[in-house]
Amino acid sequence: MALSKEVYKEFEDVVGEENICDDPAIMPAYFATEFAAVILPKDTAKVQAIVKLCNKHKLKFRAISTGWTGVFPKNTILLDLRRMNRIIEINEKNMYAVVEPYVISAELQAELFKRGLNFCIKGAGSNCSAMLRGHGHLDQTTSADDRNHLAIEWVTPEGEIVRLGSLGSSDEWFCGDGPGPSLRAIISSAVPPGVTPGVFTKAAIKLYHWPGPSKLPVVGKSPRYTLREIPANMMARYYSFPSVEKMWQAELKIGESEIAYELMGFNASMVASNITTCNEEEEEVFRRISQEVQGPGFFVIIAGNSPEDFAYKKKVLEKIVSDADGKSLKSVEDPEIEGILLCQCVRISASIRETFRAGGAFNSIPIMGQRDLTIKWAIGAGEAKKPLIKKGLIVDDGGAFFGWGVEQGHLGKTEIFCRFDPLNPEAKKAVEEWRKEQCARAVNERYFADLLMAKIDESGPSLSNYHLWWRKIVKELDPNSVSPEGGPLV
Amino acid sequence: MIAHEKLSDIVGAANVSCERTTLDEYSRDMSFVNTVRPACVVKPRNAADIKQLVKLANEILTPLVPVSSGSPHFRGDTVPSIGGAVIVDLSKMKRIIKVDRPRRVAIVEPGVTFGELIPTAEKEGLRLNMPLLPRKSKAVIGSLLEREPVIMPKYQWDISDPLACLEVIFGTGDEFRTGQAAGPGTVEEQWAVGGVQKAPYGPGIASWHRLIQGAQGTMGIVTWASMRCEILPSLEEPFVVGSSNPNTLLELAYWLIRLRMVNECFILNNTNLAAIFAKKWPDDYQDIKAALPAWTLFYTAAGYEYFPEERVSAYVKNISDITQRLGVEAAKAVGGVSANEILKAVQRPSEEPYWKLRYKGGCEDIFFLTINDKLGVLIEAMNDLAIKFGYPVIDMGVYIQPIVQGTGCHCEFNLFYDPGNPGELNRVRKLSISAVKALMAKGAFFSRPYGESARMILNRDAATVAVLKKFKKIFDPNNVMNPGKVCF
Ligand SMILES: Cc1cc2nc3c(=O)[nH]c(=O)nc-3n(C[C@H](O)[C@H](O)[C@H](O)COP(=O)(O)OP(=O)(O)OC[C@H]3O[C@@H](n4cnc5c(N)ncnc54)[C@H](O)[C@@H]3O)c2cc1C
Repeated sequence: MALSKEVYKEFEDVVGEENICDDPAIMPAYFATEFAAVILPKDTAKVQAIVKLCNKHKLKFRAISTGWTGVFPKNTILLDLRRMNRIIEINEKNMYAVVEPYVISAELQAELFKRGLNFCIKGAGSNCSAMLRGHGHLDQTTSADDRNHLAIEWVTPEGEIVRLGSLGSSDEWFCGDGPGPSLRAIISSAVPPGVTPGVFTKAAIKLYHWPGPSKLPVVGKSPRYTLREIPANMMARYYSFPSVEKMWQAELKIGESEIAYELMGFNASMVASNITTCNEEEEEVFRRISQEVQGPGFFVIIAGNSPEDFAYKKKVLEKIVSDADGKSLKSVEDPEIEGILLCQCVRISASIRETFRAGGAFNSIPIMGQRDLTIKWAIGAGEAKKPLIKKGLIVDDGGAFFGWGVEQGHLGKTEIFCRFDPLNPEAKKAVEEWRKEQCARAVNERYFADLLMAKIDESGPSLSNYHLWWRKIVKELDPNSVSPEGGPLV
Repeated sequence: MIAHEKLSDIVGAANVSCERTTLDEYSRDMSFVNTVRPACVVKPRNAADIKQLVKLANEILTPLVPVSSGSPHFRGDTVPSIGGAVIVDLSKMKRIIKVDRPRRVAIVEPGVTFGELIPTAEKEGLRLNMPLLPRKSKAVIGSLLEREPVIMPKYQWDISDPLACLEVIFGTGDEFRTGQAAGPGTVEEQWAVGGVQKAPYGPGIASWHRLIQGAQGTMGIVTWASMRCEILPSLEEPFVVGSSNPNTLLELAYWLIRLRMVNECFILNNTNLAAIFAKKWPDDYQDIKAALPAWTLFYTAAGYEYFPEERVSAYVKNISDITQRLGVEAAKAVGGVSANEILKAVQRPSEEPYWKLRYKGGCEDIFFLTINDKLGVLIEAMNDLAIKFGYPVIDMGVYIQPIVQGTGCHCEFNLFYDPGNPGELNRVRKLSISAVKALMAKGAFFSRPYGESARMILNRDAATVAVLKKFKKIFDPNNVMNPGKVCF
């Protein structure tokens, strides 16, 4: 449904003719969805004006920041926030940065490194928006998900501007909660189906100390960057263990002893993806390191604030690994490989190689929460991958899963995916079935309920009927139903 | 008026009281809110009782005021704002449901106090991230729901910490579990497969516990909550650093927290430190106070399972580089108060009598959040106001608690007064209201609005209030849950 000329003109009056488009030849450049129009506001006032117009005409809208997860109902007005790309403030003394939606993580991190600071970059990669919630490689140190936001500026689905926490009361960004109950309860963005209604226009995010250099000494050429030298008081290693239990024992102890800057439970297949530059090389390296590892494992970065701190952390790491009969992967001890992994896993440029390169597509079950519990479930989900591998329907990764500790092991994430050729319908179907079965098992055996791809009416009843409350909230906030709920991710 | 029999049917006759003396106890507290006598006090035994009480309250439109902690109360939030209310006193729900060492989590009912939970947690090798010296009767859940600041900012990743999950009976009478506890399955079924109620977010993209926290019982009644715990260190080295300049100590605290070298970490002025550690009143108090520097930063370096001495000595060395740069010195005692003594004290609730009541029998707290840069100005403004109102500045306690891994700090002024002296009481009351106004004008953020100042605080943020009211309509459409509190 195209907008009428009059309505189009009203939006055009807000953003100027350069910043609105309803050309059916151009709009598909965004996503496969048929949009009513794409609009590019420059600031909060423009977002507000657009949202008010959407209410006036009862038109559905949805914003994107960097737009990695586009799932939109047909005829949505897409607010592409790419012109809102300023780092508003980096407050070193109070450990936060204020950003607009299109500030990408790489950009913010480069600025932060100069100040000895870092933040939580989503595992999706450094090209993603810095502002939206997410989790990734650095979570051991930088926390994750909705736990990194401080104050947020939010345009409600009706077009009111709400400035959460200290921002609304005293014009400061350091706190997003209060007075009274916290509106952060519902404002966090996320992948569909559960997206925050309305538009986030700025957010303060927590910062963390970065013990490394102000600039990583990157050398080489894409896609094979490494480091000229390993920065002082830093070390990266990959350890494998004789069993999942032993691996978990080591991971738990590393969390409790607060020594790891990063703990990423890559499997051997993901290590291979990350240190190679093409599928052929990856296959060969995977085969080689599969022989070298003794079982499941994880990648660790140790970073000391001083030589003493580093020496202490290294000593504890070695003790924990040895107590759990862990073995260091020799390839990663090679400074060039160590540099590649350090570089990719601190700047967060690893994801695409792991997920898309080998098969062309992937289908995944990610679970945030209690790491030991989800590992227990993932062992079964990994076993269930093996028949698909045998049939040649998915990329051979040995039936592996992966994950990591969050907040020094207080929380965690486990994820398991299958990589397949999207042009092979049999493979696609088999993977979808695998996913469905494993998610059903997760609910039946009381591990967790999938929220990524299930409709909320499917997952809600097993989760305290949260969907009913969520719907009531959205209805209250959005009486004109202009902020669509979205659907499952695929 | 709610029928006595109906309440007795739900909780049992022994758990309902409409006696005047009992009602009087709940009709006021140590704050300056109006005295309003409730109609009844009930003590539910379990979640089922609570659910029925909420249903009944909706049927006959009677306000419910949930109370977890024992008296004395200080903030007016447990005193009914309107007549005819039923106090839901949860102090009988005292089960410590679970303490899980590997997952670092404890689950408790609302009546469990810090003094009761600490020994059980310690037996498992765990400890709590505590508020500073809570009174003996303070319920753990009360503290979690109020977003009280905690003394180990390093372990406070999010302002909602250490709260993890909770079960709540909303004002509608519906039961809901937040975070990982939401499901699938019952809590017991989750335990059976190895799950604990730890991850706070969800279900869905919402973080429902954030709506219950800070609500002062206006959204529903919490029947249990889980909290993240920390590991008991195997070695702890506490230190104190004195200074006449709070900004220097703030700068030091900033680095200690940023580099995650310390566990407990907070700043007290000499009045508060003396009020906490004086044994013989009033001589001891005056002597300690006179011997103390104006401000004292307290912190602990700790070691856990592996090579604790090496960890602590690396930290001590690194910290001394910072103290030297700032021109201050870390010591083991200050003005006769030893760092060890402080450490021991702050890992427990306050000894009786409650430390805030020892000096004069009464205490009014004014507390807010701010950023480091503004703190100096706000302390000065408070001093000026105290002088204006004739309150001796040297009698005013100050507590500064860095929060959420250094993203700001909680600042608390403790105005000690004699409640039996009407002149003093009046002065503190007037000072307190003026102070909230004046500090707010200078940028203090009152994230937890209580009592007489709540309206004034909330009026500054009409947009937030408008959204909160929408939520209230959903979770408590008949406004039976503690009406008159926050902005409801
Ligand atoms: C290969 C791959 C790997 C991934 N790995 C990870 C991972 O490891 N960790 C992780 O956390 N995630 C991961 N993801 C998901 C990822 O987090 C999201 O893709 C990422 O956060 C998207 O950021 P974005 O800015 O591009 O989001 P967008 O696609 O722009 O938006 C995401 C959702 O939020 C809404 N939204 C966006 N901006 C706003 C706004 N300003 N106001 C209101 N709503 C808004 C959108 O409507 C959309 O529904 C991965 C995704 C892919 C494709």
